[in-house]
Amino acid sequence: MFDAARKTLDLERGIRGYFLLGDIMAVTFIGALVAFLVALIVSPAWPMLLAMPIGMVAGMFLSLIVGMLLFFRYFGAMEVMMPVMLTGMLVGMIIAMAASMADLSLLAVIVMGALIGFWTLISTYCANYLINGRWPL
Amino acid sequence: MTHRGEDHLTRQKWDRAARSFDFMTGIGPDRRWEPRKKELFSHMQGKILFLALGTGLDVQFFPPDQDIVAIDISPKMIEAARERVGAYQGDLRALQMDVHQMDFADETFDQVYTSCTFCSVPEPIEGLKALWRVMKPGGELRMFEHTGSQYFPFKQMFDLMNPLSSRAGPSVNRPTVANVEAAGFAVREVRNVYLDIVKTIYAVKE
Repeated sequence: MFDAARKTLDLERGIRGYFLLGDIMAVTFIGALVAFLVALIVSPAWPMLLAMPIGMVAGMFLSLIVGMLLFFRYFGAMEVMMPVMLTGMLVGMIIAMAASMADLSLLAVIVMGALIGFWTLISTYCANYLINGRWPL
Repeated sequence: MTHRGEDHLTRQKWDRAARSFDFMTGIGPDRRWEPRKKELFSHMQGKILFLALGTGLDVQFFPPDQDIVAIDISPKMIEAARERVGAYQGDLRALQMDVHQMDFADETFDQVYTSCTFCSVPEPIEGLKALWRVMKPGGELRMFEHTGSQYFPFKQMFDLMNPLSSRAGPSVNRPTVANVEAAGFAVREVRNVYLDIVKTIYAVKE
C-alpha cells in the first residue's frame, strides 16, 4: 500500500517535472529565436513607432507557429501556447524597440529573449495561481 | 453564408485536419489534461451522447461498460477513430453526423459529453439547443472546453488570433458558458482547468 502510494507520488512528480522542463524549454527557445530574428531585421533606420507593433505581431505569430510545430504536441496545448505567444509578443516588441534605437549584440539579444520568455512563463504561472489557486502543472 | 454551407466548410476543414490531427495534438495535451478528463468522464451513466469524437483520443479516458453513441461531422475523423473505438470495452458506436442535423429522437440521452467541441461548431447556441432537444428532462451536459478569457492580456491575444485560428481550426474566443445558458441549460458548475480559458462545465436540462 505504502509502496504503491510512493510510486504514484514519484510518477506525479516525474510528470510535473516533465511539463515544467517543457514549459521552460519552449519559452526560452522561442524567446531567443524571436529576439534573434527581430534583431536581424530591425535596424536603427526603422522608426520606433512602426518597429514596435510590427515586432509584436510578427513575434506573436512566429511563436505560435514554432510552438505548434515543436512544443505543443509534447508538452500541452493551451498551457504552452499562452506563455509562448506572450513571449513572442513581448520579445518582438521590446527587441524591435531596442534594435530601432541602436545596433545590438546578437548574443545579448538572444540572452535577453530567453530571459523575457522565462519571466513570461513565471507570470502566467502566477496568473493561473491568482485565478485558480494552484500552479498549472 | 447558409447554415448548410458553413457545415459543409466545417466538415471539409476537419476532414483535412484528420490526417495530421494525432501528430499535431500528440501526447502533451492528453497527458496534461488526463486527470481532469478522467474526472469528467467518471460521471458517465445511462445512455450517453459524445459529441465530436475526432480521432478518438478521448476514448482512453472513458470508464468501461458504458452505452455511448459518439458522433462527428467528419467521416475522415470517424475513420481515423475506428481502432480506438473498437478497443473500447463497452458499447461505443461512432456515427458521422452534424450536431445541427442530428437524427436522434427528442429526449433520447441521459447525458451528453463534449471535449473541445464548441470551439468549432459553426452556430454554437444552435448546436447547444440541438443537444438540449435530444436530452431527457433532468439530463446532464458535461463539457471540457477551451473558451475566451476575460483577463488582460489573454483576451486581447485571443481576439487578435481568432480570425486566423478559426479558418484553420478552432475559434479561440467563444463565450461558451454564456452560450450554454443562452441555449436553455441551467449551469450548475464551472471549474477552470487552466487560467480561465480551459474549463469543465456542468449543466442540466431542467
